Amino acid sequence: MRWWWAGLLFLGLALAQGRLEAGVYGVPGALVSTLEAGFTLEPGEAFLRLQLGQETRGALGFSSSLALGPLGYLAYGLQTEAGTGGLGGMAFAEGGAGPLALAVRLGYRPKGLFPLFPEEGVFGRLSLRYRLVPKEVVGFLWEGGENSRAEVSYALREGATYTLGAGVSGLPYLLLGWKGEVGEGMEVLDLSLRLGGLNRLEAGLYLGEASLFLTLSYPWAGSLGVWLGDLGWEGGYKEAPYAWVRYAWRWP
Amino acid sequence: MKAMSWGILLVLATALAQSVGEILDRVEKNLQDPWQAVVQGEIQGPAGREELRARVLAIPKENLFRIEFQKPGSLEGNFTVITEKEVWNYLYLTNQLVISPKEKAQVQGLGFSPQGLGDLKALSQRVSLRLVGEERLPEGMAWKLVGQAQEGQGFASLELYILKADPRPVRFLFRDEAGKVLADLRVVEFKRTPLRPQDLKRYPKDAQVLRR
Repeated sequence: MRWWWAGLLFLGLALAQGRLEAGVYGVPGALVSTLEAGFTLEPGEAFLRLQLGQETRGALGFSSSLALGPLGYLAYGLQTEAGTGGLGGMAFAEGGAGPLALAVRLGYRPKGLFPLFPEEGVFGRLSLRYRLVPKEVVGFLWEGGENSRAEVSYALREGATYTLGAGVSGLPYLLLGWKGEVGEGMEVLDLSLRLGGLNRLEAGLYLGEASLFLTLSYPWAGSLGVWLGDLGWEGGYKEAPYAWVRYAWRWP
Repeated sequence: MKAMSWGILLVLATALAQSVGEILDRVEKNLQDPWQAVVQGEIQGPAGREELRARVLAIPKENLFRIEFQKPGSLEGNFTVITEKEVWNYLYLTNQLVISPKEKAQVQGLGFSPQGLGDLKALSQRVSLRLVGEERLPEGMAWKLVGQAQEGQGFASLELYILKADPRPVRFLFRDEAGKVLADLRVVEFKRTPLRPQDLKRYPKDAQVLRR
């Protein structure tokens, strides 16, 4: 009887619109399995995040959204977590309407677990962006937790988008950014550089079927990632070398 | 005598009802080839009365339409793509492409239905239009159609003007239940032009794609 119910549940989830991302994350001497799944239900999406290895942690959550057509979109949700270290949870909201965009999340986790649950303790993030005039956007970002920082930015779109900003992460730092189209099919190159209290170069090249990401920071850490269709590979160094291979399914 | 009056009225009503169908058929036939135009006017937006300007691109045979918003400033860079089964809304500020099935994609808060600007046949399925006469507009003589909208359209009634000489819509007037004008939009800079489906479905490759 239990199998019958399990079969029905599986069939129901398989028929619902959904996504599944399965991966393996490896550091020298340890392998970790990662799994992220989401099922679209009438009022929103139920999702699951699971990391299995020497230390295991999982999250169950629900998100919903409000779509305003060309005016905007807002998604919000909650997740609860259990596993290594104890219970935790997070609330989040992100989206925009008219000239204002926001992304906010607040959570608690007794122990961070890389890669799916990296933050530790009480953590939070607030990003606000306001469109002053059609081509100019000002932004404010605050991140709390282990490496807290605050940042303000100004972005001007004149063909490409040029960003200038400043922040504080222990010490002050400067932000420079450039984002523009590099092909005829709206392929995008996105570059940002932070120098000073935070030293980090980020680059993303988005070609449609393929996307490439590069992050380089000092004190030395870095990563190189590629998504080819549904297959993702990321390798890098963060206190130790690591690699992460993922495959994503979406249905129907 | 009374029965005869009712009979005449019935015949007249039937003739006018037929005319709406005929007019929309003529529009459909006239707009078979790809075209583009600019829709401009005033809308009752969330922040009050605002100027709207949007470029509409259409490949009617593919049931494919794209509306690129240029005004108000808060919508500049946003666009809507209507395909056979879906509505895509691209939001510039958050760089998101929100894809919804057509039946879920009703728009509230804009005072009018952007989908209807490109796809008149689809609009007429949600608004019970009837012919009330003809009017002279700057573009020429036009048929005036009016109708009540089904619930959940974001507007209660519609006045639609179709150019007689070149059957195509030239003015949309959307009203609320109290008769207040929510959007008064004119179609200008109309031209037939070669368009490819991939041009209408373009979006930035770094956009976050969200399916609802």
